[in-house]
Amino acid sequence: MNKIWNFIKRWFIEMGSPPLFYKWSSKILPWLSIVSILILGVGLYWGMFYAPTDYKQGDVYRILFIHVPSAILGQSIFMFMAICGFINMIWRAKISGMMLKSAAPIGASFTLLALVTGSIWGKPTWGTWWVWDARLTSTLILFFIYAALIGLHSTIEDKTKADRAVSILSIVGIAIIPVIKKSVDWWQTLHQPSTFTITSSPSMSPDMYQPLLICVIGFYLFFALLLTLNLRNEVLEREKNKNWVRQLFGGLS
Amino acid sequence: MMQSSISDWLTIILRRDLIIAFRRSSTYITPLIFFLIVVTFFPLALGPQESLLSSLAPGVIWIAALLASLLAVETIFSEDFRDGTLDDFFISLEPSFILVFAKVLIHWLITGLPILIASMIAALVLYLPFESFIPMIFSLLLGTSFMSLLGALGAALSLGRSAILSAIIVLPFSIPTLLMGTSVISSSLINQDFSGYLMIMGAMLAIGIPGLCLLTVEALLLNYE
Repeated sequence: MNKIWNFIKRWFIEMGSPPLFYKWSSKILPWLSIVSILILGVGLYWGMFYAPTDYKQGDVYRILFIHVPSAILGQSIFMFMAICGFINMIWRAKISGMMLKSAAPIGASFTLLALVTGSIWGKPTWGTWWVWDARLTSTLILFFIYAALIGLHSTIEDKTKADRAVSILSIVGIAIIPVIKKSVDWWQTLHQPSTFTITSSPSMSPDMYQPLLICVIGFYLFFALLLTLNLRNEVLEREKNKNWVRQLFGGLS
Repeated sequence: MMQSSISDWLTIILRRDLIIAFRRSSTYITPLIFFLIVVTFFPLALGPQESLLSSLAPGVIWIAALLASLLAVETIFSEDFRDGTLDDFFISLEPSFILVFAKVLIHWLITGLPILIASMIAALVLYLPFESFIPMIFSLLLGTSFMSLLGALGAALSLGRSAILSAIIVLPFSIPTLLMGTSVISSSLINQDFSGYLMIMGAMLAIGIPGLCLLTVEALLLNYE
């Protein structure tokens, strides 16, 4: 038991050290990129060409295979950022702050992608680009919160300070996002009866569900890939004056 | 002994900051005037029809209140940070939580309270029915207090940086307050029960006082490393 615990502890410490992370990620990067692009490709291809056509919406519904995973990712990445923020606040692990910073633009992009694809999907099916529906509104607010985090990080010169400031804000964010969701729900029911419900298909046919599931897994892996690439850049950028980076690129040490 | 020293500490900071605030009248006049100007703009932009204005009044009053309480956010810590008083506070062995709490209280007293009083004038000129006055005041009381807490965090995070940054940080997080606050007033307009919204706002305040004050302390300490 003690041995396993020690192993886990060592693994965490190794993960948290920038040079070791860099070495370790170089090894898994090729595998990660092959697997993620393969799964994403299979999922999207299946969804776009093999999944049956929806009897009501026609082929338009196929945007779902991009829209739903990116909406899920937008929320999951925020959760991930808040966890990084906690770790960064409590243990001051260097890498967690860098992770937080590298994940933010990816999360914001996925949220924006979900908003844009949702809007494109809404035009033919609902007849309008935008509806003040509870889900749309809370996704938009999530995007604003991402923007606030990125904006805060970019204004603080000292990177580790910026990481910690963003950690604090991401913790506030994770506490308040459920409240925002609930309050938007109530607001919506007070102001207008729900004209549209996005999730009106409780039983999705398995032919559509299976490719969607693969797409979601593919998006998660794709996020892992993007995060690793971003994080490696961030590590090099911040540690550019350290010996190990100089040695890595054959500079003078 | 410990109890009395903490309350002494609180009264010392409150007295000092209140004296400073009252010697410079602009600190509490500016948010008030700003609030009234924003409220005035809505009838000018949308037209003076009574039915339109009274239905828009909850939203107008709340948006104006949010913006006005953000206006003075920058002053919460910046003055003390610049002249080194904040350093002294942190060097003293008194709990910094109390310091932040006192600062939030001061901010509420110089922005929230004047807005609360001015909101009655705003409600009059926007033709809000008298029955909705009490819900409006309660919602503003809870909402502006929560805004002061959030504003303190925003001010601490953007200390020494642009004032617009703290607004961008704080505004997305103030959305539940805005929604609940306007819901309280609009529910009272259509004779619906609004106590639920007030309870949620109260709960947010109850969690916010310890939670946000502690995080604000952390954010302030970032400047002293």
